Amino acid sequence: MTETAPEPDGRIVVDQLTKVFGGKVRAVDRLSFTVEPGSVTGFLGPNGAGKTTTLRMVLGLVHPTAGTATISGVAYKSLRDPISHVGAALESSSFHPARSGRNHLRIQCIAAGLPLERADQVLETVGLAAAGKRKVRGYSLGMRQRLGLAAALIGDPRVLVLDEPANGLDPDGIRWLRGFFKHLASEGRSVLVSSHQLNEVQEIADRVVILNRGQLVRSGSIRELLADTDSVLVRGPDLGPLDAALRAHGFNPTQTGPTSFVVQGIETEHVGHLAFGAGVELHELSKQGFDLEDLFFQLTAEQAPGAPTMGSAQ
Amino acid sequence: MTRAMIRLVRAEFVKLRTTQVWFWLLIAALGISVLAVLGNFLSDPGIRSARDVPQIFANSDIACLAVFVLGVLGVTTEFRYQTITPTVLITPSRWTLITAKMIAYALLGILYALACVALQLAMTLPWLATRNISFDLGDPDLRRALFGLFLVLALYGIIGLGVGALLKNQIVAVTLGVIFLLILQNLLAAIPGVRHAWPYMPAGANAAILNSQSNAPDTVTILSPAAGVVVLLLWAFIPALLGAGITMNRDIT
Repeated sequence: MTETAPEPDGRIVVDQLTKVFGGKVRAVDRLSFTVEPGSVTGFLGPNGAGKTTTLRMVLGLVHPTAGTATISGVAYKSLRDPISHVGAALESSSFHPARSGRNHLRIQCIAAGLPLERADQVLETVGLAAAGKRKVRGYSLGMRQRLGLAAALIGDPRVLVLDEPANGLDPDGIRWLRGFFKHLASEGRSVLVSSHQLNEVQEIADRVVILNRGQLVRSGSIRELLADTDSVLVRGPDLGPLDAALRAHGFNPTQTGPTSFVVQGIETEHVGHLAFGAGVELHELSKQGFDLEDLFFQLTAEQAPGAPTMGSAQ
Repeated sequence: MTRAMIRLVRAEFVKLRTTQVWFWLLIAALGISVLAVLGNFLSDPGIRSARDVPQIFANSDIACLAVFVLGVLGVTTEFRYQTITPTVLITPSRWTLITAKMIAYALLGILYALACVALQLAMTLPWLATRNISFDLGDPDLRRALFGLFLVLALYGIIGLGVGALLKNQIVAVTLGVIFLLILQNLLAAIPGVRHAWPYMPAGANAAILNSQSNAPDTVTILSPAAGVVVLLLWAFIPALLGAGITMNRDIT
């Protein structure tokens, strides 16, 4: 592979990435996805899905068993001035308790050759300026998360990799974090943010990558994923003939109650037309708003242990 | 040294300065140095002529324990508080990282040696004056004792780093290291047969570098100063390089 002047576009490419711990635990299994420059990508999955291991492989902290992860075309450790290219916030506790938040950041400035003023600037950005000179020992979990985000921003990177940044934040903090993400995206930065809580990501992410048991469940834009799973709710006293008509057209209604069912992947007009043709009385015909959370639970529930991998719809 | 390396060495110093451990270990090193001076003057036969002056400094090498512990903490604290993550994110090459730490802790050992020697001189010079003993920096034995002390303290910083990098766990590394340096080496020296390995132990290397045969167990001859330097360099670099190559190259999770 030639590395002649890779275009520093900030694209993250994960290709067939695999990590086996201790010879048997497949934490990440042939995972492939791409984070496009200038987008916010939610990296979703239940706890233990392999999100943290994947992010650590992207950052060169964990060595992959197989596969590659590149940022702007090269491995993290081949980046020149890595923290000016990629900022990372991985855990909320990677600070010496007896050191002040500001000193922690200043050490990073010195090691990376950045001006010391950056420490105060990023403390300001994350709203920690007043607490900067206090020892980290006295910080709340939310303050540590903010300090971690400040550290991620210190090199003014175009790519941000954030692992569960909302963990431990109170509702105020989560609202602040949403605004913070919007601010980052408006500056054209690429953000890869992991979460096990979808509502944190749903509003701010352009795209999502959903992971379960180390394998890709699905990836794509949120709109695409939701379009796939839109459904129509039908309610009426006797839906038998409509059910038969739908099945005859290749749809598969799911009974939700004695007088109702839902149909996936169909428009309301189509159902209405079939009901009219079958002479079925309807009391309700409505499109079901399907949110990401439902999708997430649906997708991850399908991945029962030992079940075959779902086809990854790129 | 490249500019990047100078930055990393500076960062190591700031890491130390922004916590308190360097201060308490300096106090410990100074305390040991004071005891060494007192011991030399008050013991029998003690310091009776200019020929005895070098042994004051040659017998002060236990201060290396403080520098050793500092070196151990220089690596293990990063693992304990997970600051290793940001450290490695800034410097993905673990070789560059361990090199910067080795330079920083060797310099730190020299700074500790400076502080210890300054305090010892402040005590020794007036005391010698009261006994009408001259203090002659031209004395090659005295020069060697002083220079040897600087070298020993510099290298124990690196030994500490290596032991810390290999063992990773702060309490385990400090405890095992101190037990080995303080007790185990001397126990080995008490066993006939095994005691002839003593010159190749860190304590034996110290004695060779500082030319203090009196510190060696009976019937054991210390190495030449040059051989002592080589032995101590091996003790310093082998664990540090193994630590960088094996332990520090492991996954950081």
